[in-house]
Amino acid sequence: MAALGSRGSAALPSRLRALWALPARRALAADAGAAEGKAAPPKPAFTDEAVQTLLYKMTGLDLRKVFRPVKKDLKPPHYKLMTEAQLEEATRKAIEEAKTKLIMPPVLNEREPIDDVLAEDKVLEGTETAKYVFTDLSYSIPHRERFIVVREPNGVLRKATWEERDRMIQIFFPKEGRKVIPPTLFKDENLGTVFQQDRHEDVLNMCIAQFEPDSPDYIRVHHRTYEDIEKHAKYDLLRSTRHFGGMVWYLVSRKKTDGLLIDMINRDLLEDATSLITLYHMLHPECQSAKEAKEGKLQGVDLIKVFVKTESQREGYIQLALQAYEEAMATSSAS
Amino acid sequence: MALAWAAAALRAAVGGGVRGAARPRWAQDLPRFCSTQETPKDPPPAPSPYQERPWEYLESEEYRATYGDKPVWHGYRRNHKGSVPPQRARKACLRRGKPVGNPCPICRDRNLLVDFRNVKLLDQFICPHSGVIFHPIHTGICLKQHKRLSQAIAQAQDHGLLWLRVPFVPVPEEDFSNQHAAVGKTPPAPALREPGRAWYPWYEWQQPPAAEVARMRRLYRGFLKENYPDNPPSPSGK
Repeated sequence: MAALGSRGSAALPSRLRALWALPARRALAADAGAAEGKAAPPKPAFTDEAVQTLLYKMTGLDLRKVFRPVKKDLKPPHYKLMTEAQLEEATRKAIEEAKTKLIMPPVLNEREPIDDVLAEDKVLEGTETAKYVFTDLSYSIPHRERFIVVREPNGVLRKATWEERDRMIQIFFPKEGRKVIPPTLFKDENLGTVFQQDRHEDVLNMCIAQFEPDSPDYIRVHHRTYEDIEKHAKYDLLRSTRHFGGMVWYLVSRKKTDGLLIDMINRDLLEDATSLITLYHMLHPECQSAKEAKEGKLQGVDLIKVFVKTESQREGYIQLALQAYEEAMATSSAS
Repeated sequence: MALAWAAAALRAAVGGGVRGAARPRWAQDLPRFCSTQETPKDPPPAPSPYQERPWEYLESEEYRATYGDKPVWHGYRRNHKGSVPPQRARKACLRRGKPVGNPCPICRDRNLLVDFRNVKLLDQFICPHSGVIFHPIHTGICLKQHKRLSQAIAQAQDHGLLWLRVPFVPVPEEDFSNQHAAVGKTPPAPALREPGRAWYPWYEWQQPPAAEVARMRRLYRGFLKENYPDNPPSPSGK
């Protein structure tokens, strides 16, 4: 399906980049320190502008998919008569709205568990039979700066764990789409049933609604979804959604790009294939094809061919797909 | 005694003549009012063969012959007086163990079991356009079954077997660095750093100054035990 509208620059607003870049910059500093002054180039993070531009280009912008009809309360249909200029204006507004819907959720490392003890009051041992959770309910402080402490029956006063924190914050400040106890469908055995129904996008949207981006459950569900998509080659389910960038980042970090490359070539998305290989070279600059590409300054199909020869495992399939593409191009240009 | 013998004789005479046809109520062997004989109860209804796997019934020939392609509640009508049907669903189809006349579409078929696993049955009670559960007046089911059905649908959505509307939650704009003291590491208190040290100084015995001890001794001179030490042993349990 040809995408309507232009594929512009990265959709990530600068304030989000500034917020999320904090862990990335610290990690980069740590990596530079660990390199022992070898002047190795820092590893690109998910939030870098170059990376975000590439991921956004690969995601595409199919307005028919972004604004597809969903099941909601029935209303009579609404018709509008528009001139060409009005139609263009409406399309432009739709593209702006679609860009906000395609902002990628953050990819973070798993959070460190909280296990700080604040006080040990042995005097209170034996006085109570249950734990007491004290939550600071001031309205205007961000949830990550909210103090939540637990008094155990043995008198120990400790900070609440991340799970306890999330539960308490959801009880007192309920968020839409989030439940206090996470639904059973996020357990590993139940994810399979949802994947069979091809509802990967729904699962990922529910995951974003339910969990914090740095919680282990969020990361586990996302990784399971990406693995299942890669196993069954269902990449098109996530195209033109906000999850495509995260999936590509996951696959490229783990060097599992073959299936995605075949899918892109089969759908005649050569620019996306070259962007994917460029991202691969950015993340793994020490590999053979990166060096060759840098020396020869290769572009387009040559880049793909070099990559296929050196880095891919399913060389045969990709060669076949490339041949089919070139034949199709030749016949279409001849006729 | 004589009356019972006469009644039994009459019953035998009548029973011999009217064999095969329904005997009148006074001639039947029903227990009388306040009798100690137990009422013969109907045998309990046999459990459905699809008890363990209720979804198999919806694939069977029996189901197809009874309902075809239509939902199970299609064509069901309440019996009522007047042109306007009652705008309240029936409370339950089993009153004191006995079924009402014209039970609802789920109660009338013992093989239709409301379970979160037979998704095909639950789907028939959800609007395909808006995803909303039909009102019990629309489908004709009783309120007890409607409650069980709503719970089963919620459970199926929870397990991922049924479609659920997911609201679009925008990407959170927070500081994920976890540097704040509420979620980050705080240095432990001095009492925790040294293992032997008590949390409060008064957890351990603190010897009072000698002047205070002397003052107390002088004050309670006549009441102290003899040979009471200045440094009594600390009480057990700190």
